[in-house]
Amino acid sequence: MSLFRIHAPILDDIRSDGLMPTLIAKTDEVVTRLTAGLNVEEIRSVLRGDPPKRPNPRVKPHADGFWMHMRPTYFHEKVMTLYPTFRLGWLSVYFLVFETITGLVLMLWYTPSPLTAFEDMQNIMSNVPLGLMMRDLHRLGAEFMVMVVLLHMLRTFITGSYKKPRQFTWFTGGVLLLLTLFLSFSGYLLPWDQLSLWAVTIGASMAEATPVIGREVNLLVRGGPDFGANGLLRFYLLHVFALPLIAFIFLGVHYYKVIIHGHSLPPKEEEIGVDTARKVPMEKRSYFLPDVLTKEIYWVVIWTALLILMVTVGNWHAPLEPHADSQVTPLHTTAPWYFLWLQGMLKLGDKVFWGVVAPGILVNFVFVLPYLEVGPSRRYIHRRVGLSVCAISIIVFSWLTYMGTPYHAVSSSPDQEVVAALVPQTHPGPVRTASYDELVPGEYSSDKWNSAPTDNLREIMETFDHEINKYGNELPGAVGIMNIVDWQVGLKKVTLSVVWNNGEDTFTQNVYVHEDSKHGH
Amino acid sequence: MTWRTVVGTLATFVTTIVVAFWLINEPARMKEAEDGFAGRSMEAGAAIYENNCTRCHGPAGGGLVGLAPAINNPALFDGSRLAEVGWAGSLHDFVYSTISGGRPLASSGTTWPQRMPTWSTEYGGPLRHDQVRDVTAFVLNWGRAYEEGITALQNPETATTSMEPIDAVGIDINTPELPPGNPDDGEALTVSLGCTACHIQTEVGPAWLAENHPDGTGIGTRSGERIDAADYTGAATTAEQYLRESIVRTNDYVVEGYEPGIMVATYGETLTAQNLSDIISYLITLK
Repeated sequence: MSLFRIHAPILDDIRSDGLMPTLIAKTDEVVTRLTAGLNVEEIRSVLRGDPPKRPNPRVKPHADGFWMHMRPTYFHEKVMTLYPTFRLGWLSVYFLVFETITGLVLMLWYTPSPLTAFEDMQNIMSNVPLGLMMRDLHRLGAEFMVMVVLLHMLRTFITGSYKKPRQFTWFTGGVLLLLTLFLSFSGYLLPWDQLSLWAVTIGASMAEATPVIGREVNLLVRGGPDFGANGLLRFYLLHVFALPLIAFIFLGVHYYKVIIHGHSLPPKEEEIGVDTARKVPMEKRSYFLPDVLTKEIYWVVIWTALLILMVTVGNWHAPLEPHADSQVTPLHTTAPWYFLWLQGMLKLGDKVFWGVVAPGILVNFVFVLPYLEVGPSRRYIHRRVGLSVCAISIIVFSWLTYMGTPYHAVSSSPDQEVVAALVPQTHPGPVRTASYDELVPGEYSSDKWNSAPTDNLREIMETFDHEINKYGNELPGAVGIMNIVDWQVGLKKVTLSVVWNNGEDTFTQNVYVHEDSKHGH
Repeated sequence: MTWRTVVGTLATFVTTIVVAFWLINEPARMKEAEDGFAGRSMEAGAAIYENNCTRCHGPAGGGLVGLAPAINNPALFDGSRLAEVGWAGSLHDFVYSTISGGRPLASSGTTWPQRMPTWSTEYGGPLRHDQVRDVTAFVLNWGRAYEEGITALQNPETATTSMEPIDAVGIDINTPELPPGNPDDGEALTVSLGCTACHIQTEVGPAWLAENHPDGTGIGTRSGERIDAADYTGAATTAEQYLRESIVRTNDYVVEGYEPGIMVATYGETLTAQNLSDIISYLITLK
């Protein structure tokens, strides 16, 4: 019988102390183990906002727990305010995690093949509960992540936080910035629509400009002379595997360096050339539990709410254009916004110099900046040159970005431009987004836009008239004609013509509009 | 810290409510999105149809005499055509597979002279499968006009809505006897059949119009002269018969300076007696 006799100490406890006290003591023990050192009473005291006891029991999880061990026990109170960090580093991590979670959901519904990728997108948007929201959040998060990481770098430069001893932290941050850009860029191709194919084609064409091995680099990136099944698979694997893996590794290194050196204090808090971030006096300490954690949770909640509200109430949606078609080049193709400056530089001249050499020098300059600029003072007053260069760079980059857009130095025929303003190839435009019922069959002329029978028609024809007038010299005596006919039940054929030179020259394009198509939604 | 707790809690609360409402509305939203993509598919299909299909099936699906049947056609949508060919699958599959693989054989009960080419890349054609699906969606949408009884959008060209083959005139230059021709219809046919491409604008075939021909005479005059020429190898005895022979038996006599085998040789199988008569009556007027 002794084989079946079990010894449960809790039964002894219950026998000696009673049921409730034993359960309470056990619960306390479990909680203390889960939190790596905080018992129930201490957690309640944290939540109440009580000052810590001496010695502070709230530092124990930092010593014993895996997650908390990665976080510092306390911050300097001067870095707890919005300035000087603006929480941009924390937000960068937040977006990396946010993108990973939403990305994993999307991965369930996506196959990286030109045969199915676009249909998968439509399926995610029309057949997966919360699929549209996940896709919108993922795309919006990506845009914010690029912005936040860029701003984080800018802030680090402005406060001089890249200076000794944080040179290598800056370097790993530079790597993370590049990884962020390429993570976003590699995701651009995956929907396999016209927008993605051509934006990425523009980007990848720069690889072709690499001296000597341009052809090989191009083949390596695209998996062939043009983007196809191989290129899509490569970008997918980069996007979901290689780049995130490297990003998480560098995030680890970057964050380790941040903790090792401490958060740099606002420049005026320190003696020149002295770094006191690690020596925080007792009275200036702001403990992780609860102050830092509360603020971090607060920002996570605020940003998550903001993103969700933008894609629901704010009606922000990730674009999905027609299926990718390598035979049909849209009139204006642009790189993603964060690479527009590169596209702008390419318009300056030689493809090899402006597309590869100049950006290469620039990126490398950013990496080695802290090793070149070794002035000891972080104070703004002592860094007039550096800050001026920074300000000028921002202006130059903004101008280059503008130059990268189709508004600058892109020559195409004005007649096509006019029609493309009404029925663009890379977004819906005014004709497709007009109310179906207001597209009354008939023929309308741009010079008599005001006599069109419905509001939408008047708006379209006024835009038509406005666009034509922009090219008054190139299109003498031009008039725009829009002809709408019922083509099928629920489908209208819209013919847009520009007629100029007394009717000698015409340009005509047909589009079809379906009553259910919901463009721009 | 207190105000942060309040704002954070409030934000969580609001977000939860918004997501809950979004979730409740999700089935309706998904349905709308699905209809939206179906609509965009028809829009894309209409453009593909315009670029690839109109030359044989007509701009509004009315078919073209001697080339291809009407597909904007009640017989396609009421099931009678499917029954006729013995198709056991759905109408969508019938249209989709026809576009994808073309018609390597004349389908049941018809003798259309030309075979429909393959369109899907799977069969060596130019269209991706999603494009074939778009065209299918567009073609099937013609059915709504018959379903909903909207006559204005039904095929107006009743003459070509038939899936039946035409009663071709054949290649004998004497029989059947041709009915009286209408020169205006004949002129229209020379344009729609593409005759003018070679006989007016270029030097591929002899020019019909007097002002374009080195002799300064039109085809109507020349056809009367040719039958008496020394090198004439055909069997015609009148100008009209000469024209008929030239159209349906293209290689019996080829004018000097031109290559045999260039002109399409199947007009005997694609034109009706009336079509042929109309064309001849038009050509004879070009003196």
